[in-house]
Amino acid sequence: MEFATIIDTKALLETCLAALVAGVGVAFTFSLAILGTTQSAVASREGRPTAAAAFAALAVVGMAATIAAIVFGIVVMTS
Amino acid sequence: MSEADLILYIVVGTALAFDFTNGFHDTANVVATSISTRAMSPRLAVTYAAILNFAGAFISLEVAATVAKDVVVADAITPTVVFAGLVGAITWNLITWYFGLPSSSSHALIGGVVGAAFVAIGSEAVLSDGIIGKVLAPALIAPILAFVVGGIAIVVCYRVVGRQRPGSVTRGFRSGQVISGGLLALAHGTNDAQKTMGIIALALIASGELGAGSDPPLWVIVSAATAIALGTYTGGWRIIRTMGTRIIKMDAAQGFSAQGAGSAVILASTHFGYPLSTTHVISGAVMGAGAGKRVSAVRWGVAGNMVTAWLLTLPAAGAIGAAAYGLTHLFGDGAVGPVLITAAGLVAVGMAFARRMRAGALAASAG
Repeated sequence: MEFATIIDTKALLETCLAALVAGVGVAFTFSLAILGTTQSAVASREGRPTAAAAFAALAVVGMAATIAAIVFGIVVMTS
Repeated sequence: MSEADLILYIVVGTALAFDFTNGFHDTANVVATSISTRAMSPRLAVTYAAILNFAGAFISLEVAATVAKDVVVADAITPTVVFAGLVGAITWNLITWYFGLPSSSSHALIGGVVGAAFVAIGSEAVLSDGIIGKVLAPALIAPILAFVVGGIAIVVCYRVVGRQRPGSVTRGFRSGQVISGGLLALAHGTNDAQKTMGIIALALIASGELGAGSDPPLWVIVSAATAIALGTYTGGWRIIRTMGTRIIKMDAAQGFSAQGAGSAVILASTHFGYPLSTTHVISGAVMGAGAGKRVSAVRWGVAGNMVTAWLLTLPAAGAIGAAAYGLTHLFGDGAVGPVLITAAGLVAVGMAFARRMRAGALAASAG
């Protein structure tokens, strides 16, 4: 029997891709949230309200994307 | 109570004991990163991990289905075969624990059941396609995948926040570890508790209490979730006492990346029903996060030990499972064999525990 018929390569590739996208994606979005929070505080201290607001928005988007990715992952698991 | 019922009770009790030891043994993997980066206090990390291990057991049944349907022919084996497989797994776990090998409880469990089924019925009882496709291939790929994902994740983190003030960044990633550590505990609970559910389902099918192809009943899910959570909670206190010397130091970003990578690999694999070694995956992710910062920081000897354990576990646990079946069979097909082996196992564990306590007391009085 051929190896390819025993191993479900499609499922294995999907597993690899999902793990890569989720693991790296969450690290990226959460890092953006930290960057936004840190830079927003710096800009605020330096009297740059527009930059502070923009970085705060980046922090919110990063955090929202992180939470959305986790919730999506758990929903996929339970469905 | 009939002899068949007695054997089934022994098998269920042994499987739950195995689940408890799995949680006990793996607490270190799940909470070490959060504790070492001071993202959480030890007490909080262990309690949190125990609760999420319990919750994780309820979110999927794919791995339980693989263990119950894709490893051995469920309706051809007997509860005694399942019992012998569990004895093989537990014995191999104790041997590797003694010698400090990072062995996989999951591979030991599957190896034990396969070895016992092979001796009891023959090669026709072993589903080699399922073992290669759903156990061996993912077992080979998952730790490497976790290493790659952990390595890329830490590089991404450092690229994004590299020029920020270290204090703020560390505080941010420590907060993130509350989420990533929780996800890792959830992932561990869902993959590992399901193996016990699958084994109990296999025993129920073999004894005619459950139809072939059925999902585990609710009491199996609840009892497996409880056993792994109690094991995680109990095992944690031992880790707290020894954490000062055994945990590898890493920064909060590495901890976050490693936990995120480990969770992603375990959860994605669980979705497809792959019974992974969570120990190997978490170790791979930690090494990847370490290598992403500095390749020489990785203890490559640990990786070598993992490969050795990986190669040995399935055949060794299989051989012990086969021997356990042979020993049980000497006493016939009734409950005498399982009862005697269980009694002997309990006496051996009790003696080892007493010996350890005595050695601890002697060391304390000498100190």
